[in-house]
Amino acid sequence: MSLRDRPRSEQLLIVCGVAGLLVGAAFAPIVWDRATEPEGTVAVVEMHGTITGETATAVTDNLREARQNDSIDAVVLDINSPGGTAAASEQLYLSVKRTQQEMPVVTSVTGMAASGGYYMTAPADHIYVTPASSVGSVGVRAVLPPDGAPPGEITTGPDKGSTATDAETRRRVETLRRAFVGSVVEERNGTLDLTASELSYAKLYSGARGVEVGLADSVGGIDAAVDDAAAQASLARHDVVRMESPQPSILGQLGLSAPDQAVAGSAVSTQPTFDYRGVDTVQYLMVHGSVADPQTEVNPNATR
Amino acid sequence: MQLGDLAQPLATFGLALLLVVGATAGTAIVAGELTDTSTQPDVESFQPDSLLPTPVADEGAVGAPDAATPKTVVVDVSHGNDVSRADMQPLVNSLVGAGHEVQFFSGGSSNFGPPAGAESPLSTELQEADALVIANPATAYSDDEVDSIEAFTTGGGKLLLLADTPTRASSSTPALPGLPTTGSTAAASGQPTNVAGRFGITFGSGYLYDMTDNANNFQYVYGDPAGSDELSAEADRTVFREAVPLVTRDAATTVVESSDARLSSTRENGTFAVAARSGNVVAVGDTWFLSPDAATLADNEQLVGDIASFLVTDQGGAGLAPASGGGAALSDGTVDPSPTPPANGTNTTA
Repeated sequence: MSLRDRPRSEQLLIVCGVAGLLVGAAFAPIVWDRATEPEGTVAVVEMHGTITGETATAVTDNLREARQNDSIDAVVLDINSPGGTAAASEQLYLSVKRTQQEMPVVTSVTGMAASGGYYMTAPADHIYVTPASSVGSVGVRAVLPPDGAPPGEITTGPDKGSTATDAETRRRVETLRRAFVGSVVEERNGTLDLTASELSYAKLYSGARGVEVGLADSVGGIDAAVDDAAAQASLARHDVVRMESPQPSILGQLGLSAPDQAVAGSAVSTQPTFDYRGVDTVQYLMVHGSVADPQTEVNPNATR
Repeated sequence: MQLGDLAQPLATFGLALLLVVGATAGTAIVAGELTDTSTQPDVESFQPDSLLPTPVADEGAVGAPDAATPKTVVVDVSHGNDVSRADMQPLVNSLVGAGHEVQFFSGGSSNFGPPAGAESPLSTELQEADALVIANPATAYSDDEVDSIEAFTTGGGKLLLLADTPTRASSSTPALPGLPTTGSTAAASGQPTNVAGRFGITFGSGYLYDMTDNANNFQYVYGDPAGSDELSAEADRTVFREAVPLVTRDAATTVVESSDARLSSTRENGTFAVAARSGNVVAVGDTWFLSPDAATLADNEQLVGDIASFLVTDQGGAGLAPASGGGAALSDGTVDPSPTPPANGTNTTA
């Protein structure tokens, strides 16, 4: 029985049914996309290499963008840094802390989070490490220039060259230590199994030991960190966007002074990236390892 | 075309322009609300009140020692000693200001000519001296020299031994050539170990630190008076940098100690002697406290002044009985040649 032989009401029903299918099929891709669309984005912000004013600014910008961008719901910090200058490390700490107040921040220590590198790690909601990665070295050092003004230089005051007396420099280092240690104790409140005095030894701990003493939370890779961040932001489906660490200088890219990136289990060798061109000044560093200057206030400690 | 014919298109153009600009402004206002609305975190640990350490009191002046007669204090620099006049300027000023003489003895290359026989230049120099200061020698003192020094103290001469951690001196000051020493460098070079050992005092190898109660840095430890020795009676709280702990035996007693400190080499916690005294001999495990930077910190000026007095005062102090019979006993050059048998003269470091 053909369609023409059917009653008129049935003909209309069939035509409407077919038309409905066609229209539905036309909308199907849109509905599919909507149904499978990610609910949000997890931004992976890198901090690889030494912390200088330049690298800290780039990472701070990335974190600010994460806060401003509506599509980003959580941040994962990918940290592999031996630290750097004290001032830049404090900037990063404040930036991470500010971001953590807005959205979940989870850290994955992919190599080393030492000294200033740990400073910016501390405010995270959760810190993932691997057995071979390392955390800690919570300490500050002041690298002192040689005494006295060099010949051929006239200054307007006795402290213009050295910036301060030795006693004042010691007090300043102590001030920075209190801020650093106090911040870590504050951020890791409840999980830290070290006293402020023990933390001040500035030991660098292996990842496994870091979990034990409470400087990290659990063992896991960066994917675990991303999943955790998404879960904390209540994202059933999520995209991942990576905000890469600033590239080293041109010389570094040419391999002339490139920082050695950490292979699993090996230490990162620090580079003298803190040169103040042509001027020798007191430098306050939050960096792990030995700086090529005998006059250091805080000695590094061996990895346990 | 009449002007009136353009009115409608122009009005339409204006309306469209307003629509676009208005929509942009509206969107910008809405979008503006999406900018960073986060607030600066309140970091408790960054509050200046809790951050800034209290400076260690740095006032007062090193007092001038009393002494009836002018004395001669010899500072030995003939053994590559890592010490200079600038390193102990407050002590030198105190002594010179009170009318005493301070000589830095560099080996007598020109004044005394070649050393005659077994007599070392230092032994010769001691005949003219009332007090001897030995700090951070790079080379060991020969047995003859140690014998001379012991005889010197037995005869009423004062001896001040100072040492820092051994690695500091050994790398910076090589042995001076032409010295009649055996040339053997002590295992713990940089410390007058064999001289101190003769008087029952041994210098340690590590340094003391205190992570909590310190002078604004863990390597700057506080010292408290120990016992009732007049040397430290007035110095309630002294400051030392990377102080070397002393071990004493026999007649040597602790004068200044650092309590609840730790030793760098062993991380051992305890009370360590920083200054010790054995009759006419005083040993201090630090040289920094004599420097211009440190001599007036806390009560250091009191300790430095007392050490200056010790060096030039005839009487060794309460309970000390060296058979001096007068501080100028050596001025005529009569040194008691009979060395006292070293009861515990071994200077092997434990």
